Amino acid sequence: MRVIFALVSIFLFSSSVFAQTVEDRLQALEKTLKKQEQTIQELKALQKTVKKQEETISEQKKLIEKLTVKAQKSQPAAEPRAVAEAQPVAAPDQVQQQVQELKEQVEGVVEAQRKEVPSVFNPAIGLVGETIFSYRSKGSTATGSDRAGGFDVNQRSVELNIAASVDPFAKGYAVLNASADPVTGEATVGVEEAAIQTTSLPDNLELKAGRFFGEFGRLAYIHDHELPFVNRPLVLDQYIGGESRTDGAQLNYLVPIEHYVSLTAGVGQGFGDAPIDTGDFDNGNFRPFGGLSFWGRGSTSFDITPDLSFEPGISGLLNPKTPDRGGVLALDNGVPVTLPQFPGSTLRETERSLEGVDFVLSYKPLSSNQFNSVTWGTEFLRSDNCYDVIPPSAGAAFTPFNRSVDSYGMYSYLTYKWSREWSGGFLFQWVEDAWNNADRTFSYSPYITWATSHWSQIRLEYTHTDPNAVSGLRSDDAVYLQWCWIIGSHAHGWQQR
Amino acid sequence: MKSKFMLLLSVITLACVLLGSAMPANAGKINVVTTLTDLADFAREVGGDMVEVRSLATGVEDTHGVPMKPSFVPILNKADLLILVGFGCEHAFLPALLEASKNPRIQVGKPGYVDASKGIAPKDVPKSTDHYQGDVHPYGNPHYMLDPVLAKTAIGNIYNALVEFAPEHKAEFTRNRDAYLAKLDAGTAEWKKEAIPLKGLKFVSYHEHWPYFAERFGMVYFGTIELKPGIDPTPRHIEELIASMKADHVSIVVREPQFPEKVPSRIAQQTGATMVTLPIMPGGVPNTETYIKMMDYIIKTLVTAVQAKQ
Repeated sequence: MRVIFALVSIFLFSSSVFAQTVEDRLQALEKTLKKQEQTIQELKALQKTVKKQEETISEQKKLIEKLTVKAQKSQPAAEPRAVAEAQPVAAPDQVQQQVQELKEQVEGVVEAQRKEVPSVFNPAIGLVGETIFSYRSKGSTATGSDRAGGFDVNQRSVELNIAASVDPFAKGYAVLNASADPVTGEATVGVEEAAIQTTSLPDNLELKAGRFFGEFGRLAYIHDHELPFVNRPLVLDQYIGGESRTDGAQLNYLVPIEHYVSLTAGVGQGFGDAPIDTGDFDNGNFRPFGGLSFWGRGSTSFDITPDLSFEPGISGLLNPKTPDRGGVLALDNGVPVTLPQFPGSTLRETERSLEGVDFVLSYKPLSSNQFNSVTWGTEFLRSDNCYDVIPPSAGAAFTPFNRSVDSYGMYSYLTYKWSREWSGGFLFQWVEDAWNNADRTFSYSPYITWATSHWSQIRLEYTHTDPNAVSGLRSDDAVYLQWCWIIGSHAHGWQQR
Repeated sequence: MKSKFMLLLSVITLACVLLGSAMPANAGKINVVTTLTDLADFAREVGGDMVEVRSLATGVEDTHGVPMKPSFVPILNKADLLILVGFGCEHAFLPALLEASKNPRIQVGKPGYVDASKGIAPKDVPKSTDHYQGDVHPYGNPHYMLDPVLAKTAIGNIYNALVEFAPEHKAEFTRNRDAYLAKLDAGTAEWKKEAIPLKGLKFVSYHEHWPYFAERFGMVYFGTIELKPGIDPTPRHIEELIASMKADHVSIVVREPQFPEKVPSRIAQQTGATMVTLPIMPGGVPNTETYIKMMDYIIKTLVTAVQAKQ
């Protein structure tokens, strides 16, 4: 009985396993069949294409034969040149020429189909490196360097650029930057930009969202290695905090007229690396609408002559009034800013706005623009900075009060290019401190650039910064040798033109 | 202050929009934009009265170095068709302009994006695009327009694009195309006869503009003055080029007007070769406003240089 029971159990178990296996096999077979059907369909489609191509080639061949016969027939009846000119189609030379050309065309089409493009990258990838060798007599944030004085070698950045179409409606790009900490020299990798940008919005609109350099002013949204000189202008460093990086969205509108007018508006969390403590508004925390930054830019261009063009622009940036913001103004090293006349005071930002006017006047002879050009670029910025001055304690010698500071700054540079490889220029800068407009810095920088190719350039720059009694800055002299290089894909963007 | 700024921005926007709405339409013509002047010439010939053609280049520019002017953006914004040489010829300026144009009709892959190189087998397709090779074109040498026979393929592509865009005018486009091709055929036959003295003649040029031309007219393309595409010659390269030109009896130095005269002139002097300045697209030098005039000029200048040497 036990044996029978065991046999029945084994049978039932094995049959169920067998059934399972058969089912699996059937499913697998079905899948294989489906795949084969799909392959057959694809092969049929391919066959059709090949047939079509064969038909085209055979038609072309027939035409060649026809024309060859025509040419042979017309050979004995060749007419004098005058007649041949009057009836060019009948001339044997021309018929033969046509035959030859048709042959070439057929061969060309066949050949063109065989050719493979060796490097159609998707996505396009490029790497940018930038090394700075320098000597400066006095390191100071007021002179555009947050590194110590003396001799220095700084691998300022290594940027990995990636870009590709996301789909038929948008493209995406990212810039990952490994930059050296200005004080320790330690490299940290960060996402400098990572954004999606529409390519097919109607009504001349283009929307960008993610992390990107917001369009403000002339050089704030240009990467370091694309600047016409070594360091970012002081006024951009002090008023924006370097590059105009933001996490947000930006809408660009090309005005539909025959003259170039571009308008941009954006909103984002933070803007640049402004030297303020954003308090409770760090990523991940609740942020009221007023805690965002808003910016806009309008630019146009005039072709004064075919070789001479003038591109003016205006920009505005706003951190709206946010009384609960609590952003305590601090230096880069984290030490809170204090007003010397009110010892122990701390400054709490309440509102900030920036306005800018800029232009580029460029002379580029059409016939030799890669060898000769003169570019004059200038940007003026006004910073309006409102903050509360807070006493150190309740029993202090003064009560809290609000203060507003209007500061101005500018830079102007002239670059002359006299060969494909060589260019040189001069940069003048003047900036009032954003918190204390009596603190003024002037600097002067001649520079010369040797571009060994599109992908490698070496720049030598000398910068003299005047002494400043207010900030206590002593006269500073610095020499920079910058070497930038690019490998892989490198696009010439619209903003970098 | 910020309110003033916003007000100013609003006024500018409003003014622009009003100005925009006041712009006259283009009287029903097909708005064609070409990158270079040879393509503009072909588009005018095939399109006739039905097209309004504008070229970004005027003819004197380097084919790879047309300046990215903001004034090109509104032109491209209104284009129905954008005709380009292709093979990456315009890589330095066109992608950025296309993006700025915000015109979905002419973006890559759209019917308005007309690549004139379709059906042409490129020469010198590199095995690698490493920058060691210079600013090499990954799709092959793009200067096929200097071969009048290959130019006919480009004309065919322009014709196809026009017919696809405006099929109701097919008869007119066909008539125009056939008439122009007949003129071009006659010209080619004539140029071939005139170019008989050029057969087997060795020459160098500043940039790699001439491989298609050389093959068509039986010339031998000896080399370039540039070290690599887009890279200026080094003293050593010039020395080596001069030595090899002397050894191989290279008799012509072609200088394209976009490049400085000094080095080609020195090479010609030291090798005993004749330097000629040749346009690479219509309008490159005076009296070459059309493609046929340009080819005429090129052949005649070369033949005159050869005959003067004899």
